[in-house]
Amino acid sequence: MEQDSVIHIDQLSKVYTVNEREAGLVAAMRSLVKRKTRAVQAVDSISFSVNEGEIVGFLGPNGAGKTTTLKMLSGLLHPTAGSATVLGFRPWERNRDYLRRMTLVMGQRNQLLWDIPVIDTFELNRAVYRIPEPQFRLGVDELTDLLDLEPLLQKPTRNLSLGERMKCEIAAALLHRPSVLFLDEPTIGLDVTMQRRIRQFITDYNMRTGATVLLTSHYMADVEALCKRVIVIHHGKLLYDGELTGLADRFAPFKTVEVELHNGAGGQPLAQYGELMAHSEGRVTLRIPKAETASVTGRLLAELEVSDLTVQDPPIEDVIEHVFSQSPTPLDNSDSQRPPSE
Amino acid sequence: MIPIDTMFYFRLFATYVRVGILGELEYRANFWINMIQSALDLSVALGGLAVVFSHTDTLGGWRPEELLALIGVYFLIGGLIRTIIRPSMTQFMDQVRQGTLDFTLTKPADSQVLVSIQRIEIWRLVDVLIALPVLATALVRLGTRLGLAETAVFAVTLLCGGLIVYSFWLMLSTCAFWFVKVENIQVIFMSMWQAGRWPVTIYPAWLRSVLTFLVPVAFATTVPASAVSGRITTSTLLGTIALAAALLLVSRWFWRVGIRFYSGASA
Repeated sequence: MEQDSVIHIDQLSKVYTVNEREAGLVAAMRSLVKRKTRAVQAVDSISFSVNEGEIVGFLGPNGAGKTTTLKMLSGLLHPTAGSATVLGFRPWERNRDYLRRMTLVMGQRNQLLWDIPVIDTFELNRAVYRIPEPQFRLGVDELTDLLDLEPLLQKPTRNLSLGERMKCEIAAALLHRPSVLFLDEPTIGLDVTMQRRIRQFITDYNMRTGATVLLTSHYMADVEALCKRVIVIHHGKLLYDGELTGLADRFAPFKTVEVELHNGAGGQPLAQYGELMAHSEGRVTLRIPKAETASVTGRLLAELEVSDLTVQDPPIEDVIEHVFSQSPTPLDNSDSQRPPSE
Repeated sequence: MIPIDTMFYFRLFATYVRVGILGELEYRANFWINMIQSALDLSVALGGLAVVFSHTDTLGGWRPEELLALIGVYFLIGGLIRTIIRPSMTQFMDQVRQGTLDFTLTKPADSQVLVSIQRIEIWRLVDVLIALPVLATALVRLGTRLGLAETAVFAVTLLCGGLIVYSFWLMLSTCAFWFVKVENIQVIFMSMWQAGRWPVTIYPAWLRSVLTFLVPVAFATTVPASAVSGRITTSTLLGTIALAAALLLVSRWFWRVGIRFYSGASA
């Protein structure tokens, strides 16, 4: 294990056995006797390390294996193969000392109890984590401050809006001051303001406590605001591990060229230069294969009356979409552990 | 294998009770509803006794005051089931279905304990409150035979009865790891439980075996009641203690198997 890596995983794999159910009553009856099962490789020998205090974005489409990996790291799932240590512990042994120092937030699931005031759920967590009273007060005050929880604490969870609930979820998950955070879609379904709020909070928490954060999100804005480094997985395999800014260099075979023209295109068909992305009022956006960027911009400048020209990497969203669309095999939706029961 | 941090778990339990009380204070109407329901249940039970003993002096060898004690025990244990075991286990099954059990499993405490005490419906304690005067009346009518030793035996059988029901219910609930939807088993249990209102000795042999061995209702009601009336034999007492200990261990083992299956460790 490296000197200061907090999370270290090596060749980690997870294979699920999924029950296969065919359509039709007869098939359903048959499956009562003999179930057809199928192995799904959710995570396929991935390796990476995360250093103390890093915020790493964990990206991938639905079913890529992100949640499965987070579940293995938080001790909920045993890997099929490979090894992982977090803070020096093997997560799935569920050592109490490990569990006291980590937390798992799942944007789609609640740990707050539905019928009781938020502060009472906090109280239960205080008891479970054995947080000493003064430290608990301090923690609640601090989180109340940072997340504006004051008006929410006495309300039962069921009376909160989605955004308010998420803030309280996060607070409940951080009362014991964990030093490793696994955040699975912490901003899902929230409005832009609330997303920004949560993002800001994660940055603050990271700065204050030096906690290590591994976060998944479908919102690129989250990732761009929080993570210098991203890890991309697809079909359970690690595709990329490095700087967010390097992602475009590595995966986008295109550059976006924006040109402003004096007299329109002057009769020239613009499509000959590259794929036309947008065209309005003398402003043209073209997508050009990376290798041809220099020659095409040369031609544009020579052949057209150009008043302005910029060459850019495509937006990160497009890069990601491009990466994910590359794979030849169809996506499976085995992000969660069990097959749907209904 | 058994959680050793007893003080911690007592404190945890106290916190759950407190939160349970605070939560249920919001639904004060539930108190009256439960009160009425329990009073009706008790009236039906006592009415049944009155009817039976207007025709005969003993029922399967049980005298009226002994049956009154049985009804007291039936309400006492039933109240505890409805207050703690049933709500907690129902919530556990919901958690398995919704995936929120994950939060319980990432907590630094014994998952079985957390699951078993996680929801307390405090108004259901009304059954327990009702049971106490019934038991007291029965004891007074039974006369002075109840000494220190008998009281101790009664307490032990009550505790064992409670543990047996808990372990049994935990094992039923643990099946949720494999089958996800097992609520119906609970319904079946509660209807079998109704049979515990009468001493199992009055039932035909096959039903008696079912109520003793398949669904251990007999140990939770008939056995403690027979302890009060002094009709319990040493071998029954020891057998009950042994069964309680065994079921407790087996249910814990089964719980662990369930957790291992849930986390994919058994595959």
